[in-house]
Amino acid sequence: MVKKIIFLLGGVIALSTSATAQDTINEPNKIQGRFFGGVESNSQYYVDDPKLGDFLYEDRFRSNNYINVNYNYGRFTAGIQVEAYEKNALLNYNPKFKGTDLATFYLDYKSEKLDITVGHFYEQFGSGLILRTWEDRALGINNALRGGRIEFRPNNNISLKALYGRQRSGFTVSDGHIFGFDSEFYLTDYLNFEKSDLSVGASYVGRYEKTDIENPQFSELTNAMAFRFNFFRGSFYASGEANYKTEDAVLSAQNDINGDYVKPGSAYLLNFGYTKSGLGIDVTLRRLENMGFYSERVPENLGDNNTSLNYNDRILNYLPGLTKQHHSNLANIYVYQAQANVSYLGVDKMKAGETGGQIDVFYNFKKGTALGGKYGTKVAANVSSWYNLPGEYRFFPQEYDTKFLGVAQKYFSDYNLEVKKKLSENWRSAFYYVHQYYDKSLIEGGDVVNADVLAFENTWAFGEKQSIRLEVEHLWADADRKNWAGGTLEYNFNRNLSFYVWDIYNYGTDKESEKNHYYNFGGAYRFGAWRIAANYGRQRGGLVCVGGVCRFVPENTGFTLNVSTSF
Amino acid sequence: MKNVFFLICCLVATVSQAQSQMPNVQLKNLDNNYQNVYKDYAAKDKVYVFSFWATWCAPCISELEAIKENYAAWQEEVDFEVVAISIDDSRTMRRIKPMINGKGWEYEVLLDTNQELKRALQINNIPHVIVVKNQKVEYVHNGYAEGGEEELFEKIKSL
Repeated sequence: MVKKIIFLLGGVIALSTSATAQDTINEPNKIQGRFFGGVESNSQYYVDDPKLGDFLYEDRFRSNNYINVNYNYGRFTAGIQVEAYEKNALLNYNPKFKGTDLATFYLDYKSEKLDITVGHFYEQFGSGLILRTWEDRALGINNALRGGRIEFRPNNNISLKALYGRQRSGFTVSDGHIFGFDSEFYLTDYLNFEKSDLSVGASYVGRYEKTDIENPQFSELTNAMAFRFNFFRGSFYASGEANYKTEDAVLSAQNDINGDYVKPGSAYLLNFGYTKSGLGIDVTLRRLENMGFYSERVPENLGDNNTSLNYNDRILNYLPGLTKQHHSNLANIYVYQAQANVSYLGVDKMKAGETGGQIDVFYNFKKGTALGGKYGTKVAANVSSWYNLPGEYRFFPQEYDTKFLGVAQKYFSDYNLEVKKKLSENWRSAFYYVHQYYDKSLIEGGDVVNADVLAFENTWAFGEKQSIRLEVEHLWADADRKNWAGGTLEYNFNRNLSFYVWDIYNYGTDKESEKNHYYNFGGAYRFGAWRIAANYGRQRGGLVCVGGVCRFVPENTGFTLNVSTSF
Repeated sequence: MKNVFFLICCLVATVSQAQSQMPNVQLKNLDNNYQNVYKDYAAKDKVYVFSFWATWCAPCISELEAIKENYAAWQEEVDFEVVAISIDDSRTMRRIKPMINGKGWEYEVLLDTNQELKRALQINNIPHVIVVKNQKVEYVHNGYAEGGEEELFEKIKSL
């Protein structure tokens, strides 16, 4: 099957290239076919570490490789992505990524009004609360749907989409059949708004999966629907989404389902803000209840208490933790992951979702003012707080009844402030303060932690093209692994070549075995679309997060080589 | 399968060159209008600088800030425009509007919320800059170091 497709695509590509070669000679103005794509390779050689311990897994050398090739000719585009995990995928990627194989393929026809795709495709309805398929190689996520999609835009005000597919999982597809429909209407012209702008949308996602359970209380077809709006008037803007998922079996703590315990799910999102030159204020509120949505009801058991859930496998929707993404190393030790699912960890730890919000304020003190100085000063503040849903919970037999408003136990909060200032022509400075509260016991098991992070960053430019960046940071925590200190030194030799070294040291921990330096050093060379980076160092065990979705990695030490380009 | 992989590698090596043009992709701007990154940035002899960034990407913001410092003066010298393409997804996209206003940027911002353009261009790392003139890609660069904006402007002037 796979080979046939490759040969087919190869044939198409070969034919169309030879055709274009002729076209260009005879008719220089005719459409030219063109290739495009990219290559990425991430390899690691793991070594035994005298402090962190020996490497205990098979294959010390592991690499993840991606080749993406597309060919466009007029309104047609075809493409494939081949992935190679040799000898094995990097540590703690989904074990279903193994060996070399065809990963995705598609053929697309696109005109002004119509876009038709067959094969693998990526799609997002609204903000993704009921459907998002995307690729994130750093996290090992590629949940593309394999099937077909039609998008129709009769005019600039209306967009309609319909799709069917089965979801990619490893190098194959999962059992569920996914149906989707999305519509968006831009109403400004119809309502004769002059100063305002309004669009609304509605979407539907159906997942059909057969079940072996007799007389289940849930339907084999689970329906999810969503309504959304987006409005702005001058400096004010607002948007919102309401999502509902019909009754479906709830996963037990043993990652199993029965035919009797069923619950619906819901997600509400409200965002509004005010912004004008030099000032921005943004507020986001969100409530999620039993909103985990997968292309299969029951996760695949991969042995040793490990399931496909741990690899974000078969997720249909996107439920990111809505907190600020920090770039300081230490502010990323306690990272919040959205709590969307029903999860009972104990009689005092019964969860059905999350509710909370975040506020952002951006302000620019102008040049020449007292606080702005010669170059101006930029300030950003962010506050976020997330809680369990309030209501009645019963541990056994499992049952709950939530209230829409209000909050229960606090999961996490993050209050932070960032001040950035240019001090002279060649010197920029930034200061960060972060306070975090993290109830680890409610999320992954552990302590309740109060943490404060201070970070101070300076960048100096000198000579023709060189610069140095130095960041020092400290984390004070009252529990878990307690205090950390860290620093980063980066030297940019020129625009293309840079080196760095950083270290974070868990000096405050009570356990001698945790008193470790996690250091890392390396360099990167960038030219055009090429990037080649090599480094050596220790990986702190824990969550690696990108865009609010996380992947767990064990502690390890090794050499890493990353090469990527596009063409 | 491994043979196929190597075959493709060879193919890639032979055709490997900077992408010749922007793909035919439409993205929304902050006014809720669709913009086609190939067709709508085609004014004759005008230079378009597509800068891929995100609200969480510190070097991207440094680069766009550095260009902003010189933007008015440089635009007097050369007919060029910066189009800031945000790859923020729905986790952080709500920060875009207040952030660009808070920083006083005047760039047109396009939203690549589900990575359609990023994927079509196979961009792996940001910041990533693509310079286009007369619908042809003339220059590509990824990463930002202090002073990089000066080199970028030299490049724009030389086109």
